[in-house]
Amino acid sequence: MKLLNYPVRAHVRLLVMLCVFVALPSLLFAQVKVTGTVTNTQGQPVEGASVVIKNTNAGTVTNASGNYTLTASLKNGKYIVSVTGINFKSFEKEIAVTSSNQNIAVEASLEADINGFDEVVVTGTSAGTTRRQLGSYVSTVKSDQLIKGATGNVLAALQGKTAGAQITQNSGDPAGGMSVRLRGISSISSSSEPLYIVDGVIVNNATNRVTNTSGNFDGGNFVGTVGQNRLVDINPADIDRIEVLNGAAAAAIYGSRANAGVVQIFTKRGTTGAARVSFSTNVTVGELRKRLEFNQAPTKFGGPTDGVGAQTQDILTPSLTNTTPVTRYDYQDAIFRTAIGNDNNISIAGGTEKTKYFLSGSYFFNQGIIKNTDFQRYNFRANVDQVLADWATVSIGLNYVNSAANEKPDGNSFFSPMNSVTIIGNIHDIFKRDALGNLQAVGERGRVNPLSVIEDFKQKQTTSRTLSNISLKLKPIKNVLVDYTLGIDNFSQLGTTYLPPYAYNVSDGFFGGGPNLDPSRNGYASAANNTFFAINHDVNVTYNTAITSNLSSTTQAGFSQQYEKNNYVLLQGRGLAPFVQTVNGASTIIPGNDDRSEISITGFYLQQNFKFRNQLFVTGAARVDGSSVFGQDQRNQTYLKASLSYVLSGTDYWEKLGVAKWFNQFKVRMAYGESGNLTGIGAYDRLNNYTASSFLGRTALNSSQRLANQNVKPERQAEIEFGADMGFFNNRATLSINVYNKKVTDLLINRQIAPTRGFSTLLDNFGELENKGFEIVLGGSPIATKTFNWNINLLYNHNRNKAVRIGQALTLFNTNGGAPVGIIEGQPIGIFYGTFFATTNGQQVKNSAGILQIERGTQINPLQFTTARDANGLPPVTASVLRRIIGNPNPDYTATLVNEFTFKKLSLRVQLDAVQGVDVFNADFRTRQNVGNGLVAEQEHRGLLPRGYVLGNLNIEEWRIDDGSFVKLRELSFSYDLGKVAKISNLSVSFSGRNLISWDNYTGYDPETNAGGQSTLLRGIDFGAVPIPRTYSLGIRANF
Amino acid sequence: MKIIIKNSAILLSLAAMLLVGACKKDFNNPNAATADQVFSNTRGFTGTAVGLQRLYSLGRAGSLFNIINANGFVTNELFLVNAGNLPEAQLNLGGGSVDPTNTILANIWANASKVIFDADNVITGAQGLADKGYASGLIGYTTIYKALALGSLSMFWERVPAGVGINSSFTERKQGFERAVTAIDAALASITTNPITAGVLANLPAGIDIVNTLQALKARYALFAGNYPLALTAANAVDLTKRSAFTYDALNLNSLFEISTATNNVFQPIDSTMGLPVGLRPEASDARVNFYMVINPTTAPRWRLLGFAAAANTNFPIYLPDEMRLIKAEALVRQSAPNLTAAKTELDAVLTQLPAADPFGVGANQPTYAGPLTAAALLTEIYRNRCIELFMSGLKLEDMRRFERPLTERKRNFFPYPFRERDNNPNTPTDPSF
Repeated sequence: MKLLNYPVRAHVRLLVMLCVFVALPSLLFAQVKVTGTVTNTQGQPVEGASVVIKNTNAGTVTNASGNYTLTASLKNGKYIVSVTGINFKSFEKEIAVTSSNQNIAVEASLEADINGFDEVVVTGTSAGTTRRQLGSYVSTVKSDQLIKGATGNVLAALQGKTAGAQITQNSGDPAGGMSVRLRGISSISSSSEPLYIVDGVIVNNATNRVTNTSGNFDGGNFVGTVGQNRLVDINPADIDRIEVLNGAAAAAIYGSRANAGVVQIFTKRGTTGAARVSFSTNVTVGELRKRLEFNQAPTKFGGPTDGVGAQTQDILTPSLTNTTPVTRYDYQDAIFRTAIGNDNNISIAGGTEKTKYFLSGSYFFNQGIIKNTDFQRYNFRANVDQVLADWATVSIGLNYVNSAANEKPDGNSFFSPMNSVTIIGNIHDIFKRDALGNLQAVGERGRVNPLSVIEDFKQKQTTSRTLSNISLKLKPIKNVLVDYTLGIDNFSQLGTTYLPPYAYNVSDGFFGGGPNLDPSRNGYASAANNTFFAINHDVNVTYNTAITSNLSSTTQAGFSQQYEKNNYVLLQGRGLAPFVQTVNGASTIIPGNDDRSEISITGFYLQQNFKFRNQLFVTGAARVDGSSVFGQDQRNQTYLKASLSYVLSGTDYWEKLGVAKWFNQFKVRMAYGESGNLTGIGAYDRLNNYTASSFLGRTALNSSQRLANQNVKPERQAEIEFGADMGFFNNRATLSINVYNKKVTDLLINRQIAPTRGFSTLLDNFGELENKGFEIVLGGSPIATKTFNWNINLLYNHNRNKAVRIGQALTLFNTNGGAPVGIIEGQPIGIFYGTFFATTNGQQVKNSAGILQIERGTQINPLQFTTARDANGLPPVTASVLRRIIGNPNPDYTATLVNEFTFKKLSLRVQLDAVQGVDVFNADFRTRQNVGNGLVAEQEHRGLLPRGYVLGNLNIEEWRIDDGSFVKLRELSFSYDLGKVAKISNLSVSFSGRNLISWDNYTGYDPETNAGGQSTLLRGIDFGAVPIPRTYSLGIRANF
Repeated sequence: MKIIIKNSAILLSLAAMLLVGACKKDFNNPNAATADQVFSNTRGFTGTAVGLQRLYSLGRAGSLFNIINANGFVTNELFLVNAGNLPEAQLNLGGGSVDPTNTILANIWANASKVIFDADNVITGAQGLADKGYASGLIGYTTIYKALALGSLSMFWERVPAGVGINSSFTERKQGFERAVTAIDAALASITTNPITAGVLANLPAGIDIVNTLQALKARYALFAGNYPLALTAANAVDLTKRSAFTYDALNLNSLFEISTATNNVFQPIDSTMGLPVGLRPEASDARVNFYMVINPTTAPRWRLLGFAAAANTNFPIYLPDEMRLIKAEALVRQSAPNLTAAKTELDAVLTQLPAADPFGVGANQPTYAGPLTAAALLTEIYRNRCIELFMSGLKLEDMRRFERPLTERKRNFFPYPFRERDNNPNTPTDPSF
């Protein structure tokens, strides 16, 4: 490289002379100093604005007072000083360097850029583009918005901050899973999570169950996708900004895997100047937001609670009418606690003209509100940008993450902390111990004592992960930019479980030894390891040219290659030797698992963009992708995209219209894009497989219940989006509207087929999925003075989802929590379809004993039926039980309202999130009544409801449908900026809270939950998931 | 300029080198074998055959557990411990409460089709094997499951699928039994031509006596189909000293024990009446009651599972030798030329048997039959003994219909067809009302 240095420099010098400004060549470089202050239009200083002298390597950022000093070796001549700040329009001023003018002052006043027209976004382009040019909506969330929310999870931090997204925390566990749905769900069979890209690396966000591994944890049922999703490894403090591309229209350039949208995360990078050290620390406190009330009736029906003749679930046996006095307990204190956590971050950023660096380290620790659960994460990052030559720069990013969680079994088993309490009547003295200190059995049914779960179960999960990227940017010839990114995501996830042998009767299904404490069955241990490796290469070539003075063109071509390898190994056994916690101590080895997969994806694209007078932008692109998971003939798919952006407010006639005074900005846009789902099925799902297992000392081969189609093809999404961005009153008020229609064709459905075909399901392409909706983003600053500012932001998302032409009237899934989740032609995905209360003229029908009735009659088709009544006006028991749609987990709308107030150095931010018109299948509600700890059971115990009332409702699935609508005080953040304190250039303190208040009518803990985890299909199921805690955080942030 | 291009070219070709080798798209599945692979060699056929026993006999989704479960609730053999088990609760209520979403019925239905599908694959494929003795062993073993699958469909549904395939048509259930008999005859013929070699038995789970089981099932289904002479011949061909059972071990648990006995959360025996009406109930001295159940004096319910649900590794008989005696007795009474004396002899052999004399320990230890020597009285006593001797074997619903017990004694006569079939097969017959 050294050998080439001289001619290269000479060449660039030549280019500078020819192409840039009028340059008076001088043989001498002078030391030029540029100083100044950067303020906003209210005169307040702007910190962190970037000041560069264009076409040189000189650059710096402003300090807390808005001041900057920039020194550079420059020849005499004219230069442009450019000032850019987050949420501001860029500012440029020409300066002339002469031998007498070498100390130059440039004062900059930055105008707010609320719509972000001039903000650079990186929507799949190597060089980036301005928002002005975009035909589709792309939202950007900046770091300062991510760190205010008192959470260490980047997706939780994103809640309510981006239009079109429904971000749900599925579990209140300290590393609880998060799901993100951009414009509804975009698949049925596969994940609907967006594609995550961190600094050009496709990062894995899978949920791998390395704990909760045995079928006994969920009865081998369909449970969804439960557990940590791997984006938990990303440290929010390292993030500079996140760009969210909601659908195919925006994401088409990512083609192959962008069906559910794209979330691009950019981490912080170094800037020229002396090393700047930032330090922040937070202490968090979490607690159960809402305590439930339990049965307080003084008696139960039937015999004693424990020991000889114990009789539990008395409620479900109405023939028991004698009563026994009982002590009622509240077990919530046995499992919940106040959780403490802290989050420490330190970073150093700086650099020279040629080398810039950003180094950071963080330690995050967070206890769960369930006793003995926690999550910790170490995170180290180094981002280095090196100028190799005037025409070449290389960037390297290295991120090492080590996370560890102490867990308890997740909600889907009856030996999870929540369910161990839900499944027993609150009539057992669970705290009682024998002389040896052993806990006692609860009732006669072999349930697990909740204290065993809290005290004795040891379930751990550790992840060691490296994310690395290298990117190379080359400008080999004029107007051509070549860039290459290599990304590697490599992690190893180890889970271990130890359920020590119980000292009391626990049923076999909960790894107990039964009444006789069978030592060959009692206790469980497992170890599971998931190793993932992914590598992606992306090469892009961009060619810019001006066709006329008004018309310019950008042409891009690119190639992408992705390869993934996943190995999963599970060892497990039961009947444990005393004290041995590993599988070695198991007297009965349970069949393990050894699963390996490889997939590879390649793609090419070509994109052409025309720009007319910075007003009209037209883009078209085509992409071809192929994935190894699909049938050979279906591998290569072509995806098209087109978009148009027209900035009306930049035209001459807009000026003439006379509205320009108050209507400053008006842009209309349109985008169409197609994308695929190239990882929509598993690596080998297209094959008809026979799985092998050990059976009685022989090998058994069993064919799958799922019939595969060798020629299955990827789902294809076509989205059309129209939108407008408007700015009023000097952009004091802004409005963006997006209307979209997203259609997924060749939908991959693992459809039910008649079992007489020899298989129960068929995985193939059927029908379509539609998401139609709109998003409104409203911003305003009602008050903007030098000392006081008030900003309002409102997001409103409306999405309607339905399955069409799926060729099957009804597909019903048997789920673990008993939720009757279905897919019905013409209806939203994942609706609850089941039995319901009989009503006559709107009144619930009761029999003479006052027991509610299940509706019966004749079912004509899944959505139509006629009811029947006997002589007593009751549904006749001889008639069939009827079913209808009883609930919908897809919300009518989601909305977020943010109010931000700043007064001098004080600032307050209040974020309200609303999810409205949504149903939750509250499985726990019924369980509480069945076992007699719930409030309906209490009424039956007290004689306020007829005996047999709960039993009468048992099979009526509608009983478990609960109103899941809520408005939450999601984030409250109060901070005070102390400015310069001693040697600290800037010190601020903040107090924030998360999930503080929820306004809802929900009978359980929190309607924001999902026992199905990150599942696409199973949503809104409350079955033993830990409720989301209320969190407070006190933090200090210092810059040196 | 040239140099820059050259330089870029070097960097890009470095990048390209990293890409080479990563473009491969054909990955073989290391985790499982494809259908083509499985049916291309002897080990594949053998493994698939073993898989049929696994599917039929193992776990909560397995056929055996669901057959005993469904049959037991609707014929009053079982007590529901926890009404929260919805499919069981439906069957326990019976009548209109049993609906087409019932997963117990869906498991019986789907497993039967799956067993028939893969059994046909093995039976057809094994004909091509060079080792004919190995092939006949595979065919015989596989046919046991095919026959059991056909039998399970024919016992519980009025009409049965005519075969495996798209939009399968339906036939009278009697033809289902007859198809089972036909399949068994073909297997027996194959074994007669090429006796089973030891090589194949070493690769199949121990505990199953292929030829005796085939004869026993032939007797059972011939009886159910009303072909009494054939039932008698087949039952006579069974060696009553032999055991043939589904075996279990610490890894593959007896499903009745695992799901019900060990948890006390699904079902238990109804009580010592075995759910029979007055007059048919077992005598207090009948040793078979204490074989099948045991009293738990401390914890409810009082009557607990024993018998073939006693322990994790308790074997489950595919047929009981006394079932053969009772088949003979019934066939002797029902055949066109009844032989009541011979029937009584078979019945007495069952009644007087000591538990220790039975290969599985099921013995009544009762006096000989003292009732009138009429066809009707003998049949009633045969029915009574079938209910007691074959308690929780899954056969009682069929017996109740064959012995024309009043509908009030059972909670359901035939089951509704699962929705999954109805929704996807236009030939699905209408559901019976009871």
